[in-house]
Amino acid sequence: MTASSDIRQDAALVIIAPPQWAGELELREPPGPDATILMMDHRGGATAFSGKVEYGQGIRSGFSLAIADELDLPLASVSVILGDTALVPFDRGTVGSLSTMTLGMQLRRAAATARGALITLAAEHWSVDESSLATSEGQVFKTSDTSQRVSYAELLEGKNLQLSIPEDTTTKQAEDFVYMGKDATRTDALARVTGQAKYSHDIVVDGMLHGKILRPPSYGARPQQIDTSGSERIPGFVMVVQEGDLVGVVCEREDAAEQAVAAIRVRWQEEPELPSDSDFPALLKEKAKEMIVLRESGSPADGFAQADHVLEGSYFVPHVANAPMETSAAVATWDGGNLIVWSGDRSPFGVRDELAKALGVSQDNIRVIAPEVGGSFGTKGTVEVAVEAAVLAKAAGRPVRLVHSRAEEFMWGTVRPAAFYEIRSGFNNDGKIVAWEYTGYHTGDRPQRGQRGADTPYNTPNVRIAVADSASPLRTGSYRSLGCASNHFAREIHMDEIAAALKMDPVEFRLLNLSHPRLSRVLQQTADRFGWKDKRDDSSIGIGVAIGYDAGSFVAECAEVTIQRRNVRVQRVVAGIDCGMVVNPEGVRNQMEGSIIMGMGTALRESVEFGSGRLLNSVFSKYRVPRINDAPQIEIVMSGDPTTQSTGAGEPGIVPIAAAIGNAVSDVTKSPVRNLPIVPNLP
Amino acid sequence: MQLLVNGKTYEVDVDEETMLLSVLRHDLGLTGTKYGCGDGDCGACTVLVDGEAKNSCITPVDSAAGSEITTIEGLADGDNLHPVQEAFIENTAFQCAFCTPGFIMSTVALLLRNPEPDDRQIRAALTGNICRCGTYVRIMQAAKSAAERSGQKGGK
Repeated sequence: MTASSDIRQDAALVIIAPPQWAGELELREPPGPDATILMMDHRGGATAFSGKVEYGQGIRSGFSLAIADELDLPLASVSVILGDTALVPFDRGTVGSLSTMTLGMQLRRAAATARGALITLAAEHWSVDESSLATSEGQVFKTSDTSQRVSYAELLEGKNLQLSIPEDTTTKQAEDFVYMGKDATRTDALARVTGQAKYSHDIVVDGMLHGKILRPPSYGARPQQIDTSGSERIPGFVMVVQEGDLVGVVCEREDAAEQAVAAIRVRWQEEPELPSDSDFPALLKEKAKEMIVLRESGSPADGFAQADHVLEGSYFVPHVANAPMETSAAVATWDGGNLIVWSGDRSPFGVRDELAKALGVSQDNIRVIAPEVGGSFGTKGTVEVAVEAAVLAKAAGRPVRLVHSRAEEFMWGTVRPAAFYEIRSGFNNDGKIVAWEYTGYHTGDRPQRGQRGADTPYNTPNVRIAVADSASPLRTGSYRSLGCASNHFAREIHMDEIAAALKMDPVEFRLLNLSHPRLSRVLQQTADRFGWKDKRDDSSIGIGVAIGYDAGSFVAECAEVTIQRRNVRVQRVVAGIDCGMVVNPEGVRNQMEGSIIMGMGTALRESVEFGSGRLLNSVFSKYRVPRINDAPQIEIVMSGDPTTQSTGAGEPGIVPIAAAIGNAVSDVTKSPVRNLPIVPNLP
Repeated sequence: MQLLVNGKTYEVDVDEETMLLSVLRHDLGLTGTKYGCGDGDCGACTVLVDGEAKNSCITPVDSAAGSEITTIEGLADGDNLHPVQEAFIENTAFQCAFCTPGFIMSTVALLLRNPEPDDRQIRAALTGNICRCGTYVRIMQAAKSAAERSGQKGGK
């Protein structure tokens, strides 16, 4: 389903992806007009089209800055259309912190191509050589006489051009940026502080009704008998919808729908003997599937035989909830056989394909629009909600909005897989690690969940890294950095255990075993800023360090904690990141701070409690996420080099934080933190 | 029932047990006030009722009838943003921004009753609001700079 004609009517210059990008952009067919990634209109403005979505990471701003710089346009002349399957090229979804890295570069090259085309037009206009021309502020000018200028709008008058991006397109160097690399206010800031930003919860369509789905009280429960007569007495009731396993109500108001669904009388048949959280971590090993060896190098057996010391430890990370502030929601409206769905999902095309599959409707008849997304941190229950809203809307013959309650979001949204690790290390008196055996178990059904970040970045000759999937009674999904943060927790706690065994300084011990220059640099700079050496002697506080890698970037974090009456307070965190060239430093700092706060929650208190298929702490008063009075002082160190390619900044910050805090806690308690969350497990 | 919201009087025909949040969002179309939990645990639905911060998701509408209700849409004076809104922009005190209206309203309420709060008082006033993106450091900065700004205004 396309709606592109309106917006393209004013197209003067269209830049499409070259065929060889089909793989990167996941274009279904050889790129044609649907592969438009940048368009210039007759007023000289530029519009970018991307299948990525804005869920808080500032992607719209980042793309705008990149285009404004490459095209020499004022920022106000750049707009970005995100996540509308009828308007943008196919995209696999906003995942892995890679938007700036891959798509940002593609957009820059598209903008550079447009700028080149404008210079060509100006050269024809003046009958001069292209090399005598330059651009600024939406104009081409003669370098010999800068008063001779022609605006992009004039050059594009009456034009209707289409260009593919040449292979040899060159983009600007960092020193020529006006917008990129500097602190920039987000272009969507005003809407966000005035309540005008529209999320799925806020979409209103003419004639719209409100749905609510009958949810089982426990995972796997099935209704044996359903009596909906009570619902019909609720004012504003419209209808009950029963289709296959789906039972729902549709009402005039959302609160009426809540009451109507609560008034359904059901006899449930529940699954017997479902595991509870206290069955973990034992269950992780018990239910382990095939062991996948990710790396085996040297001879671990020989390494252990020759080592001066051998240390073993096991580590546990429980299930934690994504719990985004915006619960999963969708609005669905049918027009004959065509369906439009507003869904705040990270992958609008993924939602479209799932809708097509579930409803038996062709993808061509479905348009999915991602409005603002109120947090995601991996996934939420958006795909299912979109399907359910579409089913309700079809039955009701009117548009329907469906919004998860907070309890539904906790139970039917997704949680981060639980994980269990066994680590065995061999090391010598000189501080060198000579053997490393690492086995990880992760619950859930996400591919590669346990693999990300499982390998050790330390320079060790004899290594075996293996991971296995395991079963979970909960609905696991992705999460910020997925298994990477869990893997780093286990490894970086164990590193401190070795340092303690050798009576070595944890920073020096790490540096001694690192040969990766960017990782060593970020660690050194972070420790220096933290004042690591001086703070080692301060016995009133605990300090801890951890390092990590994710999404192509390198990070190091130092944390300072105090413990009073079994309460851990993180006082200060210094975090260093090397994510290559930084497009928007303010955006990177904001993402790093957010990752640290989120990771601090998983370190200190968060753990999904469950038993008999029910969640036992599915309210914010019991599931304790960080609040403003928990927030430490945070300083961010940028250790990257502007000549290196931009890499992810949205996730790496969470990767070392739980271990940095855990190591700081053991600095006080003198006992390693091997199980999360820390506070309930304090000795 | 009559409601006075953002200086405007509305006649609404709802059950008196209906929560204020539902009336604001559904009947008045003021969707800037957000649903986050429905239990008063997260503060996304914070509005001012006679200048005090209230979780509108657990405030029955009839209890607010006759009071002056202010939502995020009623803060700015035409194109002139409220100092708290300006401070949130200047400090980029948001990411996804779903919680932002609630945080702004809680901050406005704090500054109304205490124009010169210290850090501890700011934390106490905002601890009922959750930001899952974790922008607390920036929210603290924004609240402090808004306090300085409104302090200066008051001094003039």
